[in-house]
Amino acid sequence: MMLTLLVLPALIMFGVSFVKNDKAKFWLPASSFLILLPIVKLFLLPKPYALLGNYLVADRLDTYVLLVSSLVGIGVTLALLTLDKHVKVSKKAYRRFYRFFAIFWIGLTVSILANHMGVYWIGLELATLSTVYMIKTNHTPAAHKEAWNYMIVGAIAISLVLFGIILMYASAKPILGEEAMRFDLLLSQADRIPSPFLFEMGFAIATLGMFIKMGFFPMNLWLANIERASFYPVAALFSGILESAVIIGFFRFSQIAEKVNYAHLFGFVFVYTLLTIFIVSFLIFRAKDFMRLFSLSGVEHMALIALFWVSGGTFAALLHFGAHAFLKPALFLSTGVLESNGKYRIAGALRGYHGKKGQLFWVLVSLFLLAIISLPPSPMFFSELYGFGAMIDTAKQSHHMLAMIGAVLLLLILLSVIFYRFVAVYQSMKYEGKTEEKKVYGSELAALVLFALCLAALLLPVSIDYLHTIGQG
Amino acid sequence: MGVDFLIGLFLATLITALFTSRLYRLIMWYSLNSLMLGILALLIGQELGDTAMLITGVATILIKAVGIPYLLKYLSGKFHFVRQIQPEIKVHYAIILIPAILVFTFYLAEPITHMIHGNANYVAISISSLFLSLLLMMEHKNVAPKIIGFLSMENALFLLGITATDGMPMLVELGIFFDLLMAIVVINLLFHKEEVES
Repeated sequence: MMLTLLVLPALIMFGVSFVKNDKAKFWLPASSFLILLPIVKLFLLPKPYALLGNYLVADRLDTYVLLVSSLVGIGVTLALLTLDKHVKVSKKAYRRFYRFFAIFWIGLTVSILANHMGVYWIGLELATLSTVYMIKTNHTPAAHKEAWNYMIVGAIAISLVLFGIILMYASAKPILGEEAMRFDLLLSQADRIPSPFLFEMGFAIATLGMFIKMGFFPMNLWLANIERASFYPVAALFSGILESAVIIGFFRFSQIAEKVNYAHLFGFVFVYTLLTIFIVSFLIFRAKDFMRLFSLSGVEHMALIALFWVSGGTFAALLHFGAHAFLKPALFLSTGVLESNGKYRIAGALRGYHGKKGQLFWVLVSLFLLAIISLPPSPMFFSELYGFGAMIDTAKQSHHMLAMIGAVLLLLILLSVIFYRFVAVYQSMKYEGKTEEKKVYGSELAALVLFALCLAALLLPVSIDYLHTIGQG
Repeated sequence: MGVDFLIGLFLATLITALFTSRLYRLIMWYSLNSLMLGILALLIGQELGDTAMLITGVATILIKAVGIPYLLKYLSGKFHFVRQIQPEIKVHYAIILIPAILVFTFYLAEPITHMIHGNANYVAISISSLFLSLLLMMEHKNVAPKIIGFLSMENALFLLGITATDGMPMLVELGIFFDLLMAIVVINLLFHKEEVES
């Protein structure tokens, strides 16, 4: 019953996408709000709560991730109402976009709630495939090329994940049988896995697949190119929902890998994420349009989340994850307005918005831009403080304190480069260029207000307490 | 003995596909590759008395060896695919590269094969098939052979699932088949849109 309620909004969306009446689209945001009812109920139920046998189980972590990704889904459906005001899209392509969005949403709900490596993979693959068509909704040669590109690179990434899952399954099957696919059992029996090397190899390959999917080194530009070529809601869905499902997989796998061999896990993820942030910071410095700027910044933040998580900063990672999941879609949706009808000049992008709606829009975008570079009171400011603290705490328990201080300093320098670029972009948007009359619509503004409220809610004591309890247990 | 022979044929069909310069031949090699995989699943399933593996073996033959190749051929006729598909890597380089990949993967998989009882060398062959499928995707500029490379990669993973773990849970196997069908739907739509726009 609970599972039916969770996928009901997506099923309604799928059904409504076949209705040719123009007014049918107003059903979509209304129905997407329905998902909040079962999620609120999930928060109240004792955890872990089995939604579908041992395959789909809601615990504290995935309930939080599900809430975050569902709020992003609601925001995107609101903003989608005015997609045709900003870009050229046929009614048929618009309806089909919704159809694949619904499949995407179902796939990711399954992935997020999965307690089974195989089911997790199936959901992720379903979402990956449905995204291909969403990219193609933009009828341009660039979008067509990138849709194929996504299909192929996405398939390679997802195949690597499956490859890793098979090896991890093989490593634990002698003791757990077919149950070796279950995350909870693997976690509780991690120290009994007869072939730790096989598990670690599987983990490394699966992680590589997930990191490729999130645009980590060496695939730093493929995601940015795709998001540039597709319509702006695709980028919002990638950063807010798809990456949530990918990162929860990383959280689950790494929890088990931590018990198998923590030093190997930390070394692998530490080097990989540091390398990624190093490269991405310079790419951000050179970025010349909003989409690439935000997309590359997304890679940087996902790398930070992974780094904080393996450093034992569970609270920092989850706070950073929540803040990023709300901020990045908000920025991508704003990009749709800022670049309305093909105009994407950074200079003066925030000028020319009049009236209450216009003023609220530029204030919100300014706040989002400053929040993404971790200016207080952004939740990212606190998560980074806690995250760096967790890194130092980890180093205290080893003999690598000096190396860790060096790494933190390097990270701070790289983050300063990104900070500098974002401030320069903001100043150019606000104080340079010509002032042209621009229009903001109510539904997209409602989406931005929703994201702003969610960000503020992250800092409420009740949210902070909840995130702390995930870390503790 | 029968399993060894079929795995040899599985690898041989994939290697031959890498040298193919005609699309329909490539589809045929993919079909044969899937057929070997299906029969292999049936043989190993029968040996282990695993009904789930027998079902997936039959599904592999029906979907991958018959259904998907037929659909790809139909799509290629409908959307006028380029049928002359010259690999970007020249034959004399490929002759050196392919054995090098095979040797490298056996070396790479060596630590793993010690940990897997039973069909240990098959794991190495599965990994080499994965690399060869990636090579198939890389060596062609056209989209159709890239799709076949993606499908072959899925076959390699399926082989790994059979040999390294004595079969994945039934639900996962069915889910993978479902995703594969979804992939074909998306591919069809991509080609369809291309035709409508041109």
